[in-house]
Amino acid sequence: MATASSNMKGFYRQRKSGITKPTSTKSKKSSLHREATLGSDITQPSALISHGSPDLKDDYDKHEELLRQFDMNMAYGPCLGMSRLARWDRAQGLGLNPPKEIEGLLKGEKVQSACLWDGHI
Amino acid sequence: MTAMEIDTEKNLQRKQSTYQSLDETFEIQNETYRGQQYSQIYFVRLHIMRTMLYSLVTHWKPHIPVCTILGLEEGKECIIVGTLYKHMKLKPCILDEYSKERSAVPLVKLHNFMHPDDHLVLEDESGRVKLGGTMLSPSAYVTGVVVALHGKETSAGDFLVLDVLEAGLAPQIDRQLKSKEDRYVVFVSGVNVGSSTSNPLQFQLLVDHITGHLGDEKEQGIAAEIVHVVIAGNSVEIPPGLLNGQNLASKDQSRLSEPVQELDILLTQIAAGVSVDIMPGSSDPANFSLPQQPLSRWLFPGSRVYNTFRSCTNPHCFELDGVRFLGTSGQNIDDLKKYSEARDELEFMERTLKWRHLAPTTPNTLGCYPFTDRDPFLIESCPHVYFVGNQDKYGTRILKGSEGQLVRLISIPKFCDTGIAVVLNLRNLECHTLSFGTQISA
Repeated sequence: MATASSNMKGFYRQRKSGITKPTSTKSKKSSLHREATLGSDITQPSALISHGSPDLKDDYDKHEELLRQFDMNMAYGPCLGMSRLARWDRAQGLGLNPPKEIEGLLKGEKVQSACLWDGHI
Repeated sequence: MTAMEIDTEKNLQRKQSTYQSLDETFEIQNETYRGQQYSQIYFVRLHIMRTMLYSLVTHWKPHIPVCTILGLEEGKECIIVGTLYKHMKLKPCILDEYSKERSAVPLVKLHNFMHPDDHLVLEDESGRVKLGGTMLSPSAYVTGVVVALHGKETSAGDFLVLDVLEAGLAPQIDRQLKSKEDRYVVFVSGVNVGSSTSNPLQFQLLVDHITGHLGDEKEQGIAAEIVHVVIAGNSVEIPPGLLNGQNLASKDQSRLSEPVQELDILLTQIAAGVSVDIMPGSSDPANFSLPQQPLSRWLFPGSRVYNTFRSCTNPHCFELDGVRFLGTSGQNIDDLKKYSEARDELEFMERTLKWRHLAPTTPNTLGCYPFTDRDPFLIESCPHVYFVGNQDKYGTRILKGSEGQLVRLISIPKFCDTGIAVVLNLRNLECHTLSFGTQISA
């Protein structure tokens, strides 16, 4: 029994060690933090990187900024799981008077149709 | 030869009614699943109900201010509107299975999950508050109902409820009285073809009565006044143990399809004479979550060819000669029975109409499709006839609304247990039962 469980442990440790390296994360995080405060360009701790790209990208434009404000406005309901245009249409249908410029952006310009959190949750 | 001539001379003409299906709101057609959760449906429900309740509040208590839950101030009387959440000690939780500690809650099966310690919580987008006071009895309410409450915040941070405002019956369209003739609609549910308890002769007798093959001329005359038949769910029972995830042996495949084939034969007989709606129920081969989509027409090769045969959604809504019908196969009321208490099934039905929501426990304890843009179970227009299938016993009552609405409530019993079908007269919305027995008394 005891040997079996130790074998199991060994097995799991093997799998885990390849991915996370639990012993080193703490020091790494704190060093990252220090670097960031010193003006380094690494502002993202590794935990916030998903799907291979950082969560907080700086290179979004003015339109995206407006649309993100729209995403985060709770008056129009939850944004996850539907397209921005569908959410705008729902708000319009419920008589919430969502801003017209958002509709214009979503229908006219080449903008991201999914909400801010899409693919991150 | 002479006898046949007499038969053909006395040809009874079946009466006709105009039928209009209103199932569109319950149909899932162009929906795509994009990972949405149930927050959307609660948002839409709260928003629509709150707008409506705010308009009622101005007549109810015009002098009391309305505020959000976050805006509550201690001791200040106000009105808040939100979705109820019922905290229940005995409600099964999926996480119980994984908890390390042994729960103090007994795992015995009670008749439902009620407990004296249950309490209600009101939620809106801004926050939630525990409700206190004796005005609002937790036993009558369930999670998902939207109400307006008058009260004040206590020093303990609870909300002391002084008065409750429910939405009440929705506005009703006028019922046109086209004729003074009797026209009947037959409701039947829980036929359970293929179940060990069902008696094939019983349902055959009902079919023969509807089609006019039973009784003398007088009885046939009554049968000719039946204009529509509604089968409210649980029409077949697939033998348990067959569907266990294993591949079916070929001899079992026929056992699987036999109940549906048998039902098709019976439905063909009805559809040949009168229009019939079949709704899926919890035991039928349809999807599990509400709204249940119509049973595939290809299951019924015989009845399919008749345009009098309609496979409908559950819930089902239609109009017959200007009389609006709304009904379910019983899942909504069965779920209320588990999480709340009432004198009888009719009282549960009455509550759903007054809450203006067919199935308030969706999506909490009753499966439902994660809609994003609407809540199809909101009752925007009050029906004239509200029926629920697969209940324990027959019951009927007239419910009157504050604005002159008049609703006939019908709880339809399981046919295989009781042999009872329900008949409604379209002229005056009166109701009676058809009872079929096959015992030969000595």
